[in-house]
Amino acid sequence: MKAPESPPASQAESVLLEYQKQLAHAISMGGPEKLARRKAAGVLNARERIAYLCDDGTFIESGLFGTSASNPADRHRTPTDGKIAGFGKVDGREVAVAANDFTVMGASSSSTNGRKLGHLKRVATQRGLPMVFLGESSGARMPDHMGARGMATLLGNDPVQYQRLRETPWASATLGMSFGSSSWYAVLSDFNVMRKGAVLAVSSALLASLAIREEVDPQDLGGWRLHAEVTGFADLVVDTDEEALDAVKAFLGYLPRHHNEAPPEHPVPPASGASMADVLGLLPASRTQVYDVRKILRAVFDSDSLFEIKARFGKVAVTALARLDGKTVGIIANNPLFKGGALDADACDKVTSFLVLCDSFNIPIVMFVDTPGFVIGTEAERKRAPGKIMNWMNALQLVTVPKVSIILRKTYGQAYLNMGGGRNSDEVAAWPTAEISFMDAQFGVRVVHGKEPGQEGFDDLLEQMDRDSAVWDAASVYAVQSVIRPQDTRDYLIRTLDVHRLRLTGGVGQHLMRAWPTSY
Amino acid sequence: MANYEAKAEVTGSVWKIVTAVGQKLEPGDTIMIIESMKMEIPVIAEDGGTIREFRIGEGKSVAEGQVVAILEV
Repeated sequence: MKAPESPPASQAESVLLEYQKQLAHAISMGGPEKLARRKAAGVLNARERIAYLCDDGTFIESGLFGTSASNPADRHRTPTDGKIAGFGKVDGREVAVAANDFTVMGASSSSTNGRKLGHLKRVATQRGLPMVFLGESSGARMPDHMGARGMATLLGNDPVQYQRLRETPWASATLGMSFGSSSWYAVLSDFNVMRKGAVLAVSSALLASLAIREEVDPQDLGGWRLHAEVTGFADLVVDTDEEALDAVKAFLGYLPRHHNEAPPEHPVPPASGASMADVLGLLPASRTQVYDVRKILRAVFDSDSLFEIKARFGKVAVTALARLDGKTVGIIANNPLFKGGALDADACDKVTSFLVLCDSFNIPIVMFVDTPGFVIGTEAERKRAPGKIMNWMNALQLVTVPKVSIILRKTYGQAYLNMGGGRNSDEVAAWPTAEISFMDAQFGVRVVHGKEPGQEGFDDLLEQMDRDSAVWDAASVYAVQSVIRPQDTRDYLIRTLDVHRLRLTGGVGQHLMRAWPTSY
Repeated sequence: MANYEAKAEVTGSVWKIVTAVGQKLEPGDTIMIIESMKMEIPVIAEDGGTIREFRIGEGKSVAEGQVVAILEV
């Protein structure tokens, strides 16, 4: 039998040479001039972002040789078709990564790169990998999408393109001008970090200016301040690309890879809990004085593990991921530093979305309670307070992960229930400083007895109501399961969350809210 | 440098202004204290900055969202 002929050496070389040539073009992005301009501006390019995010040498690209399919003239000027896709490891765990390359036709959405993203999301969902989106895109590619044929060909071919069932965590970094799909993925994500200077909007300031015939400032349209403080679409704001990518890594470090496993455990930092002996000193002795509850949280949870989400939005409530004895927990805490801790409409949305996040990814919830109640008045009603309060309450009662509530000071009225009071937590504990009632005694005396401050009998009635609000009566009827010394809070939570661990399902909850909205 | 409008987050009355025009503040410093719901609630300079102007005085009523000071940040 005749042996197959080896190709001549020169042919093997030419195959490799051709490969090298194709490869060099594919990874060239938008060319040296555009890349130099980004470097001068201190902004990473798409490949640098992936390299920074992923562990060294772990990124394997999917669709490296993809180019524009719509217009033959674009083929040679669209390396990777403007969106780089693939799989890499982040702190040793596999993730799927989609990075927009703005230097190639503004990373605009097209046929080929749409197929790449669809493939990536399918693999991530079916194989249990977190998704990371590095957003910076001009939106739909023009003129490819124009006209009925363009629209019919390019849009709507993926019936699950914008579907979220929260099978795996999605993290997004908004790192530049982000319009269209880049914005859609950011708000669909479980976490979105925004770099200052970036813009997240439906469409560009230019298009908005054309449509409404007035100058629109890009930062007013979709800058970090808008999304951190008004819309809540920015879960975190940072100054640099590197900080944004670090935040994505940190966020993913708290979450499981997919919804069918418990979150990862980390070593416990040595100084964790070291300041617990002084924790009561962080709570002002006078009930008229406010404080920053985050100081208490930092004392209770593992050192340097508090990862606050939406810190500038709905500030009356703190939502944060943290670790307790190395295990991930989700924290909801009233923050009296803002509005005295009175819960407003933004805080309702913030807490509801956080409950959905925690329950969808098997993260136990701990609530810290010190609130005079929900903000009331005409403005609250205009902001649809009843609907938002009930969204929160519905979410809380659909939670299937362990939930523990600690009452630090005040808890009044409906807010008592929303913050886990009664059977709305698996366990309710209270500090001896806790007081529980339908409303602050100052208002209670006026409503119940019709007495005003200064009138005869007011002070006596006030004193009586204050006494009746003390935690001991709630403990006597078992509405509060434990009254604990403040300095024991960390140990109490470690033990209690261990008792309530989801042993029957390996730490996995039922995810009853997995299809709930990703923003409100 | 840009101007930043510090706003009251609650309806109440200005109990005490604890800063002065020209004073430099660190992020998180208290500008003034509003009394509301029987509590002393601070107006905070979230990003720090220098106080340029007060738009309200002590003892005055203030509404939620009202600009109470201008800072240069």
